[in-house]
Amino acid sequence: MNWGLKMKTPPDTSLTAQPSAEFDAELDDLFAAAKQTPAMPDQGFLARLEADALAQMPAPAVRVRQSLWQQISEVIGGWKGIGGLATACAAGLWLGISPPSGIETLIIEAMGGETLNVDPLSSFDFAMMEG
Amino acid sequence: MPFDAMSDRDDEDLLALYATGDAAAARVLTQRLAGPVYAHAVRMLCGDRSEAEDVTQDALLRLWRAAPSWRKGEAKVSTWLYRVTANLCIDRLRKRKDGPALDAIPEPEDGTPSVNARMQTKARNDALQDALMQLPDRQRQAVVLRHIEGLGNQEIAQIMDIGPRAVESLTARGKKALQDLLAGRRDELGFEDEDAT
Repeated sequence: MNWGLKMKTPPDTSLTAQPSAEFDAELDDLFAAAKQTPAMPDQGFLARLEADALAQMPAPAVRVRQSLWQQISEVIGGWKGIGGLATACAAGLWLGISPPSGIETLIIEAMGGETLNVDPLSSFDFAMMEG
Repeated sequence: MPFDAMSDRDDEDLLALYATGDAAAARVLTQRLAGPVYAHAVRMLCGDRSEAEDVTQDALLRLWRAAPSWRKGEAKVSTWLYRVTANLCIDRLRKRKDGPALDAIPEPEDGTPSVNARMQTKARNDALQDALMQLPDRQRQAVVLRHIEGLGNQEIAQIMDIGPRAVESLTARGKKALQDLLAGRRDELGFEDEDAT
């Protein structure tokens, strides 16, 4: 029973349920036409985009060129390293010029208690040593 | 690095250079990416160029901000950008109460010499755009990416965050819906004439 209402016939979709090959090709033509004519941004807009990109860009890392002295200082260990090296050099020089009195005796004892004085400029000394 | 030498570098390399403060990389990336992003936004937004410009600007700004923390090999720059663009477009479409009048769709730029051919191209583009705008957002996005931008199903799946089979289903349903929508306009679009010849 339909209470006197007319039943609406559903639309016949049998013709469009499966796309025909011909219609498929036509749709591909439409896609191809759309692909060939993409919307292009104008130059003014591109310039604004470039300005945005540059404004957002992180700052480049600054590479300072170092002098030879700065490079040596860095290898040694900065000012502390240089100070230590200078002190060691000064102490060595001082010991060479004016050794403390006890050190000479210690060296002689370590060498067996004999001293050997060699004057490389005097051939007489050599002759005396050989007898 | 000189501008020309950068043309051969891929997007990821250029983005890494951009993150180190390379201005030439910024220019090349802008020139390379702005066009496809803008064209996609125009398609998704019913030809509204002003809104498409806003979306393009927003999408690229997001890319520039993501550049320092970009992890190489995780996603293609273009895929990421299409995804951001599509999401921005869908957000805007959802906020719209009424779409723009179809007459507001600007005339596509094309270089066809004949007036008739130009008019027919315009009619076809308008008809396609009109039909596309009647599709649900996700179907339209899938159809545009597949059939107009020419991307593969795998990349579309990444952009839309769905599986490749879902992409196939969306594009098939979208294409079928377009055929239904355009069925009555074949004569107007010049297809009946072509059949007759």
